[in-house]
Amino acid sequence: MKSWIGPSLGIALLALSGAAQAELKNPGTLVYLWTDDIRTLDPAYMADTANTYVSINTYMRLLNYKGSEISEFVPALSTEVPSLENGLIKSGADGSVTYIFPIRKGVYTHKVGVKGADGAIAWKLYDDLTDAEKAAIAPGYGELTAEDVQYSLMRAVLQGDSFMANAVTEMITAGKYPDIEAWAKDLAGVKTFDEVNEAGLAKVHDALAQKIKVDGDKLVLVLDAPFPATLGIMALPFATSVIDREWARDQGDWDGGAATWKPFHKPEMGADKLFQVENGSGPFMVEDWDRSQKKVTMKRFNGYWQGPAQLERVVLRSVPEWTTRLLQLEAGDADVVQTPVEFLEEVGSKPGIKVVEGLPKVFGRSLFYMWPVSAVDNPAIGSGKLDGKGIPPDFFSDIDVRQGFNYAQDYQLLLDDVHLGKTVQLRGPTVRGIMGYRPDSPVYTYDPEKAAEHFKKAWGGQLWENGFEMTAYMTQGRTEAHAALSVLQQNLARINPKFKLKIQELQSATFADKIYGGGDPSAPMAYMGWGPDYSDPGGPLGAATYYLASTGLVAGMSGKGYQELMRDKFDPLLKQAWTMVDQAEREKIYAKLQEMSYDYATTQFLWEDYGFIVTRDWIDGYVHNMIVYGAWDFYPITKKEKQ
Amino acid sequence: MLAYTLRRLSFIPIVFFALTLMIFAMQMMLTPTQRMLTYVPGPDALKGGAAQVAALIEKYGLNDPAHVQYGRWIGNILQGNLGWSETARMPVAEALVSLFPATLELVIFAFVPGILGAIWLGSRAGVHLNKPIDHGIRLFTVLGWSFPVFVFGLLVLMVFYGSFGWFPPGRLSQWALVEVGGDGFRRWTGLNTADAVLNGNLPIFLDALRHLVLPVVTLSYVNLASMTRVMRTSMLESLRQDYVRTARAKGLSERVVQSRHAQRNALLPVVTVAGMEVAAMLGGVVITETIFDYHGIGQFAANAAANLDFPAVLGFALYFALVLVILNLIVDLLYPLLDPRVRLA
Repeated sequence: MKSWIGPSLGIALLALSGAAQAELKNPGTLVYLWTDDIRTLDPAYMADTANTYVSINTYMRLLNYKGSEISEFVPALSTEVPSLENGLIKSGADGSVTYIFPIRKGVYTHKVGVKGADGAIAWKLYDDLTDAEKAAIAPGYGELTAEDVQYSLMRAVLQGDSFMANAVTEMITAGKYPDIEAWAKDLAGVKTFDEVNEAGLAKVHDALAQKIKVDGDKLVLVLDAPFPATLGIMALPFATSVIDREWARDQGDWDGGAATWKPFHKPEMGADKLFQVENGSGPFMVEDWDRSQKKVTMKRFNGYWQGPAQLERVVLRSVPEWTTRLLQLEAGDADVVQTPVEFLEEVGSKPGIKVVEGLPKVFGRSLFYMWPVSAVDNPAIGSGKLDGKGIPPDFFSDIDVRQGFNYAQDYQLLLDDVHLGKTVQLRGPTVRGIMGYRPDSPVYTYDPEKAAEHFKKAWGGQLWENGFEMTAYMTQGRTEAHAALSVLQQNLARINPKFKLKIQELQSATFADKIYGGGDPSAPMAYMGWGPDYSDPGGPLGAATYYLASTGLVAGMSGKGYQELMRDKFDPLLKQAWTMVDQAEREKIYAKLQEMSYDYATTQFLWEDYGFIVTRDWIDGYVHNMIVYGAWDFYPITKKEKQ
Repeated sequence: MLAYTLRRLSFIPIVFFALTLMIFAMQMMLTPTQRMLTYVPGPDALKGGAAQVAALIEKYGLNDPAHVQYGRWIGNILQGNLGWSETARMPVAEALVSLFPATLELVIFAFVPGILGAIWLGSRAGVHLNKPIDHGIRLFTVLGWSFPVFVFGLLVLMVFYGSFGWFPPGRLSQWALVEVGGDGFRRWTGLNTADAVLNGNLPIFLDALRHLVLPVVTLSYVNLASMTRVMRTSMLESLRQDYVRTARAKGLSERVVQSRHAQRNALLPVVTVAGMEVAAMLGGVVITETIFDYHGIGQFAANAAANLDFPAVLGFALYFALVLVILNLIVDLLYPLLDPRVRLA
């Protein structure tokens, strides 16, 4: 009889499978499971979506986006949103434009400097302070001022590491300089940044300080020319995040001096003084960043100027295995999980799980071609020659290669089988809702014969004869990316068995290092997604500029060859469109640029991102803003048992 | 015994030297740029492009003769500098130190039931050769051998967590993580169970145990299966020996014959295998750690390899070499306790 107990128990367990009911666990704590990982805590250094989840919640900016609106703002550290009506935007006789931001008083950072009896200043958590200690907060040590805003903006621009910081440079110089290095070289009259001496450093610092100024308790931005997206950039959760000058200095960072900023320009990530410390004034503060566990815990900041958030804690944890994420969501141990789109219907049918679909997104996913790539010990290009065992560093400089690759992709298959018909093919840099998008613009379709035709012409016939071997990169855990690359891999091998595409998955932070870690790109092809930071396709962060300008974000990481192509063919039109007033004429130019991205096969445009979130049904308050790529602002989120 | 122990100890530096030479030789197969990553503080050091790379190769002497480079490399290692890990976003040494307690805890809990169960099951199977109990144990071990870990792991996870919610993945529940991270809980060892005991915190201890159950069951089953087979074979061999026949002829009870004479002698191969099993587990159990969201050395090493994180892979190789050397020493020291003939030899 005993021998039947074990098997009977097993069968009973399986029969009861699915019977467990999840209850609300960890009240006050939101657990968010994803496959991502953050790179740094320094807001000036970061520029990717994963990091936005931390910066948007821990740091304040002058302005915030108003809910889901993409071109309306609400005051944050600035007490007012500048406008012509309230007199905080002024036009100068020389064509310059001045923005004035009155700085809110009584906004404190998470840690503030308290003066002790011995006169020494110690940084302490604001939430833990007694009234006496609050009274002893040293002036400038934690209460944010216009000087802190000036320091933060200047630090980001002078650090010059992220393209978000460089966008500020471009904004204030009306596109004259794409980054601080170009500005410094020009002012110093030298050819390389290394040649800029101390006097040159001071000169560019002073020039910058003339454009980012303090006037009493106001921060004044002086732009050389009108820039429509200024307020949008000031509300983005990256380089415009405000840090406390004294705190940063106490961490060993830049002291604010005119000629002392060079050691802090483009620091190595590990050497960046703010790499693993945070002291913002947002509604949450980083309690713990466990890099080995890939987990960030943010704790509520009770001293937040708008009052404490409802959630006590937010945990962002990387769990690469989808089944584990799903089981934790079902059990209530996770509240939000990153979900592959192909499982959406299955997940949505489970009790207690809420799927919100159809959230607007202006985000396109593509396979990016880069050339030339680094030739130094680059495993992605194999032998570095077109001998069947590798590719030359400038492999994608040949338009027939790019067109061949574009015809070798089965877009419809991906839309139908991976995206379950929920989204549409990406037609170029501009997506639906952005000026220049036309639903009938040309797109590539899967056509192996045309692909073969182009491949036969490429590299004088050598490509077809010898074949190639190369590696494409993607971030770990993205099943849709893997599907796109696998389909391409198989189609290429069918077109010519000598075509070998390898797929390398990298964790997101490593991927970021490889793609936009500076220097020459090392990936000849990578799966990525980019979205504009405001609704206009022009300007430094507009969709068309992103992809098609020689100084755009995509060009910044796609190699000099790509940049040259953009400079020759696209920059003149982009410039023309940006300076035009007639919106109908502008639309025509952006539509033309969209078509040109097809003609030159600049990128393999795959699909528009489908917006959705998967949460437990006890999570409410999510506000989707497509300009910040749907990153979660946890301040309005609630977690309450459903009645 | 002392002479034997000293002799074994004296081998350690030699073995470790040989291992470092092998790892260094592997490292030398990489290009100077790739080797350079074990010296630079981070991948951003390469931002300057080819010129910067050339300068760094020069700076770190990566074109020097091999013996000079070895000296520099070993000096770095002795100072705890194993380079910067891109995957962990921290120095390799720091990553290994921070992840080791998690893996160690898992190994301790998986090994003890594994070895004890294997000895008991293997002995039972050997004693009851070709009887139903032997068949049953063999079936059990064959299943353990043939069941892929990821299938078994996912199955137990779905049943005991997905359906019943009893044993969650991860190392601690969220409430426990908050408590452990607080000022009132002191981290002594990094092992959650041990720290909970040292802090006198029963709820944390029970929570840590709850999280260990499934990975431990998964891991133990696989190891138990392999060690049981070794124990069974060894027991069969031992039962055929003359000393067992002599013991029986002396009129000793069958229980005493089996436990004191046959089983003890049968343990030697099991100890050897167990030592290797522990070493393998300390080297990381990638699939188990991934399925159960258990961030340990295994996940780290697998991630590092997948991300071509050379410093981390080389650092891991060194760590693993050290583990092997130490466990071999432990196994060697256990032999004479189990069989005095080893000492005499």
